[in-house]
Amino acid sequence: MYRSRFWSRALMYAMLALAVAVVVFPLVYMLGTALKPNYQITDLRASLWPNQFEWSNIVRAWDSAPFGRWFINSVIFSVGATLGQIGSSLLAGYAFAMYEFPGKRLLFYLLICGLMVPFSTVIVPVVQILADLHWLNTYQGLIVPNIASALGAFLVRQFYLSLPYELGEAARIDGASEWRVFRRIYAPLSSPIIAGFAIISFLQNWNNFLFPLIVVNSTNMEVVSQGLSVFQEQFAINYDLLMSAALIVIAPILVVAVLAQRRIVEGIMIGAIQ
Amino acid sequence: MVGRRPLAVPYLFITPAVLLTATFSLLPLGMLAWRSLFSGGVFATSLSFVGLQNYSDALSQGGAQALRVTGIYTVGFVILTMGLGLGVALLLNVNLPGARHVRAAFIIPLVVPSVATALIWTSLLAPDFGFVNRVLSAVGLPQGDFLSSPSLALLNVLTFGVWQFFGECVILYLAALKTLPVDLIEAAAVDGAGPWRRFRYVRWPLLRRHNVLIWVITTLAGLQTFTQILIVTNGGPNGATTTALFYIFNQGFVQFNTGLADAMGVMLFLISLCITVVQVGFFGRGARRDV
Repeated sequence: MYRSRFWSRALMYAMLALAVAVVVFPLVYMLGTALKPNYQITDLRASLWPNQFEWSNIVRAWDSAPFGRWFINSVIFSVGATLGQIGSSLLAGYAFAMYEFPGKRLLFYLLICGLMVPFSTVIVPVVQILADLHWLNTYQGLIVPNIASALGAFLVRQFYLSLPYELGEAARIDGASEWRVFRRIYAPLSSPIIAGFAIISFLQNWNNFLFPLIVVNSTNMEVVSQGLSVFQEQFAINYDLLMSAALIVIAPILVVAVLAQRRIVEGIMIGAIQ
Repeated sequence: MVGRRPLAVPYLFITPAVLLTATFSLLPLGMLAWRSLFSGGVFATSLSFVGLQNYSDALSQGGAQALRVTGIYTVGFVILTMGLGLGVALLLNVNLPGARHVRAAFIIPLVVPSVATALIWTSLLAPDFGFVNRVLSAVGLPQGDFLSSPSLALLNVLTFGVWQFFGECVILYLAALKTLPVDLIEAAAVDGAGPWRRFRYVRWPLLRRHNVLIWVITTLAGLQTFTQILIVTNGGPNGATTTALFYIFNQGFVQFNTGLADAMGVMLFLISLCITVVQVGFFGRGARRDV
């Protein structure tokens, strides 16, 4: 009995270790290649892990492309779009949960229909609309189309439906405006669901590659992911430089992922409950 | 009670969300359907009506192959991500001492930028000096060409997609397993059911609704795979890894055959919609059986 339990445990640990190794190995390989001296990369007998660390590779990669500018663009795009998503979702979800008004059902279905249209299928007409607005290659062109989030509005609505309507009555009797009731009483209560939603939105916007790719084509408006793909075209077989660049791009998000691990898990789960 | 409140307030509150959804989701969908019936470039001012010509052109000019590739890719993607996700989630759910701490590892591929991981993947599978080919040489096997052989290229992109996404299934299945009633599973154990029978006859039926939900999520993710393909294979060789979405991108923004891109956009939208409706139908049926 004990013996079979020992072996089954050992087997489970082994399988788990294998799964973790498969997930982590590419990142370790990246780190090893990024820090290798150039002559070791084309040497078939050289080990995977460098025997001397060539930190200057990372400096060379950073200096070979405007990474600083790309990071600033990524921050502006992702923070802008995420704040927009939070604001518009809070307002709409609150209104759909708390008020009765003519056309409510129709407008709500309109919003949910938006959820059913995968953004990627309509990329061509979206670019045509942005071109008509002269918004190509601008921050507003990147941010504004990403602000509406049917999922966010839906989540917020579900949350407020569970709260009593009477919560704001005392303030209303004291003469507070509807905006004030929302801003001071209801909005702060939503912070637990907004936190998970915010981190997932932020990561999705940060990692969005297709959308900036079709909206922006001047180097100083590109976001990090896009810049990295251009970098790849320029330094196709310089694996030390390529992996250094990948490291530069991955490192900040890895830090975010480790710090906000629990929130990310929450966010993935609330995203799945549609 | 309702009439007391200013009527304009709710409309003001919903305006940003509704207006932007209409402008950047519903209007483009309408434009897509409308313009798929006309010929003319992306910025053309005069359009000529061609009926369903764009659809038959798209299908005959690589579109049919793109749909087939999308089908193969998505089926493989769904089976592998859900299978691996459930397997790892079951292992993590055993509560082995120390295993709790590795959960975070499975989130990493999900959250780091896919362009960067695609670069890593490219160098892992590169000819000559890539890791995989080095290992193959070291053990005396012939090197594989993971970019110019059609089936290997598709396998290359598929493995990468699965590596990147299966962590989402791990998280979702882990959460699902935690919601299952413990007493039911313990009762089965007391009755002498081994781990496999407990899974097959107790957990698996209870997971039905979660399965459908995760199935919907992975299918949509599989259908929308893009970055991996652009960076790793650029749709090649000979369209072997050109999915429907990649076809839209390529025809719309590289070849400037907007009509073909629009026609494929409509087809991809309808296919996604049909699949989701069928899957949600399963959800409803499962719900009724549960009650």
